[in-house]
Amino acid sequence: MSNSPLELKNVTRRFKDMVALDNLNLEVGSGELVALLGPSGCGKTTALRIVAGLDRADEGQVLLKDRDINHVPAHKRNMGMVFQAYSLFPNMTAAENVAFGLQMRKVSKNKRRDKANELLELVGLPSHAHRFTHQLSGGQQQRVALARALAIEPEVLLLDEPLSALDAKVRTNLREEIRRLQLSLGTTTIFVTHDQEEAMAVSDRVAVMNKGKIEQIASPDVLYNAPATDFVAGFVGSMNRIHATKTGANLFLIGRTVGAAKNGPEVEGSVTALIRHESVRVTADAKSDIVILNRSFLGPVSRITCQLLNGELIHSMMPSAESANLRAGDRVKVELLDKELLFQKA
Amino acid sequence: MNQPEISTLDRKGASKRGTLSGQSLGLILGVLPLVAFMGVFFFWPLWSVLWSSFEDNFGAFTLKNFEVALGEPYRTAFSNSITLGLISAITSAIPGAIIAYIIESRGSQKLRQFIASISSVLSTTGGVPLAFMFIAAYGAEGSATALLRAFGINIYAGSFTLYSLAGVIFVYSYFMVPTMVIVFSPAVHGIRREWQEAAKNLGATTAQFWRRVGIPLLFPSFISSLLLLFAAAFSAYATARAMTSGSVALVPLMIGNLVDGNVINDQMNLGKALAMGMVIVSLVAMIPYLLIQRRASRWQQ
Amino acid sequence: MVFSKLKSLPLFLTLLIAGLFVLLPLGSSAEFSLRQPTKQNHGFDNYVWFISQPEFGHYMGVSFSLAAVSALILLVLLVPTVVWLNLKGQKLRPFVDFITLMPLVIPVVALAIGAQNSLPEFAQTNQFILSFLYAVLAMPYAYRTLDTGLKAIPLQTISEAARGLGANWFRTIVRVITPIIRGTVLSALFMTLALSFGEYTITSLLHWDTFTTWVTVISQANVMGAIALSVFSLVAIFIFLLLVGLFIKPAASQVAKEEE
Repeated sequence: MSNSPLELKNVTRRFKDMVALDNLNLEVGSGELVALLGPSGCGKTTALRIVAGLDRADEGQVLLKDRDINHVPAHKRNMGMVFQAYSLFPNMTAAENVAFGLQMRKVSKNKRRDKANELLELVGLPSHAHRFTHQLSGGQQQRVALARALAIEPEVLLLDEPLSALDAKVRTNLREEIRRLQLSLGTTTIFVTHDQEEAMAVSDRVAVMNKGKIEQIASPDVLYNAPATDFVAGFVGSMNRIHATKTGANLFLIGRTVGAAKNGPEVEGSVTALIRHESVRVTADAKSDIVILNRSFLGPVSRITCQLLNGELIHSMMPSAESANLRAGDRVKVELLDKELLFQKA
Repeated sequence: MNQPEISTLDRKGASKRGTLSGQSLGLILGVLPLVAFMGVFFFWPLWSVLWSSFEDNFGAFTLKNFEVALGEPYRTAFSNSITLGLISAITSAIPGAIIAYIIESRGSQKLRQFIASISSVLSTTGGVPLAFMFIAAYGAEGSATALLRAFGINIYAGSFTLYSLAGVIFVYSYFMVPTMVIVFSPAVHGIRREWQEAAKNLGATTAQFWRRVGIPLLFPSFISSLLLLFAAAFSAYATARAMTSGSVALVPLMIGNLVDGNVINDQMNLGKALAMGMVIVSLVAMIPYLLIQRRASRWQQ
Repeated sequence: MVFSKLKSLPLFLTLLIAGLFVLLPLGSSAEFSLRQPTKQNHGFDNYVWFISQPEFGHYMGVSFSLAAVSALILLVLLVPTVVWLNLKGQKLRPFVDFITLMPLVIPVVALAIGAQNSLPEFAQTNQFILSFLYAVLAMPYAYRTLDTGLKAIPLQTISEAARGLGANWFRTIVRVITPIIRGTVLSALFMTLALSFGEYTITSLLHWDTFTTWVTVISQANVMGAIALSVFSLVAIFIFLLLVGLFIKPAASQVAKEEE
């Protein structure tokens, strides 16, 4: 007997020639926002659609408050879903769209209208009630879609890449609003996205998926600082991959010895060390063998790409102010800020 | 594709073509060939029909042509033609819409293209070949008639004959149904999957989706397609002529008889008045068609 | 090929019934046309009969040349116009759309009466007046086809590239643009050909004789022959247009896809 309102247990889904979901297990806590993050084809959307009832699992259970809903048809599941785009009904105004779910639940006309207006105000579109879809911008349409999903006071809110079709600026603003709304309403939410920055910014926990499995599910902090597998390490944030030699509990690379992460693979000798760009600092040193190849100015930070003696490239992400004087061709020494480094088999 | 217009500015920023009227001149010149062609071979003939329909045998203004046109036997002919148009349109629109829906919603991309090609070809059948094909197939000694009889279906059980209004409607369906498929498919295609899923998600059954979203969206397109079919059936000449040769009174056929000299009327310009009558009926159907199409295409993007 | 998604019963039934409805008249009339009542068997007598009619070759020639001229008129008229429309004439698009749609709105009979009433003497006695009128009838289809095809290519960019390399407008249209939209042009061309070849209303009301009117005439003399002829012309046009539709259109859309 678990506490979570939503649970996927050993869910498997096969398509013609591939396995979309491979024995997937996921528990979502009450009021929690869990992101499903991964590349195209990892199964994140399939998982969401199975929860919504738009697709059916071949094996396993979907438990809503401990009740198996695998055989409950989609229109009886009481979950609100926001699609990537184009899901508003074009023959209805924004208010009518928002009220649709309530209309299906036979709520009276007046109550529907009031609730619709309330929600439109909640998503910041109080004066757009009478507009039709083609009169709304992309961002506005998604807000209406969100209001529509929330109007039915769903058990779970399902978001299928709701921001992917929007401009960058609109995306950033809207994701903050979604998180704000979700927190104030306390709605259990699953958020599917391929954008790791988006996932990290709004979620309580992030499940990184690959080939139908969850590689790791943890809070954004943990995911970033203690990736469980190299797929997760590579997908979240940006990593340097540098050749190192492991002896016992230490790694030797770039002319120094550093500690080896304790949960790494049991190997000795040649390994690949994984170092975050921002954990590398470079400072000018005319006597060094390491040369700057390129400096990219990214605003508050700059990325400096250097070449090591053995030809490998190492990237450093530093505040622009500190690296202002560095140019391509300068010789630098490299400082590793971490005491322990992640590594994987070479 | 939205591309910026080719710049007509030279390096100093001044307009190459000079003033605004220079640009207008360019627009006029560009469209001139087409307008001239259509003017000479379409609009001028039409204008002359309009003009002549008000002329009597000596060229003076008169309304007599229309007087005669609105009397018998022409009034019956108009009534027959309009009836033909309506019944033919409705009996072809419904199967056509169903076919379009099933193909669009359940067919693969390849199948849809195939059906589109075939429908496009079939919609051009008409005239004498079509009439003869049906006479050969469904005539009293036709092999299709015999085939159906073998299955227990006797199409001549009642008073049915190919050479009647009913027969003409039957023959017309051969190109009317494909026309409906072509004209209505884009509307069905425009019903996005996301809407059905969103509706399901919000608690609607399939029936409720169609009632609240699908049918309201498709209805205008259905009506406009119906109008197009009506206009086509109403105006058709060749097939009707080949099939009925005078036994059914239809306006196009009456005009044909006047032109061929089979029927002589005191009013030389009666044919023009009848033709104007046809134009008016056609416009009554086609103008709403165009208006509805324009509105519907908004959400079909 | 097309039957891969046939697991749906409604789809299967629909295709079956529609297929029957389309093929039954065709098949039956073909059978009918092969009957040889005097010999009490089936054979190609009726076909041999009409092919060996002296007028057969003559009227085929007449109809073909009228159709060819009609297609030529439309291409020469429309290709530059539609190119211009998409490049510099965007403002007049609604106007052009409207004009080219008109022949669909007005009954052909009315146009025929008007032509007979208004066109000058020399036009009425030259058979090629029909080509011009056929072109008017085919205009909506040809225009739409060409316009859709041109909208699918990066016309602006290509024209500017060609002009930048030294080509004048004539060269640009003939040597650069037309080859690219070859599929579309062929499609419009064949549509016009088919439409012109099968036209009856204007032809007969203006008292001219082409292939289509000849079929009516010989039906008085030999019904079986006329039926065979009808089947022949229907099947011929069907196959012709189908081939065009299946092979040419994909080529045009392929260019569009590669450009995306």
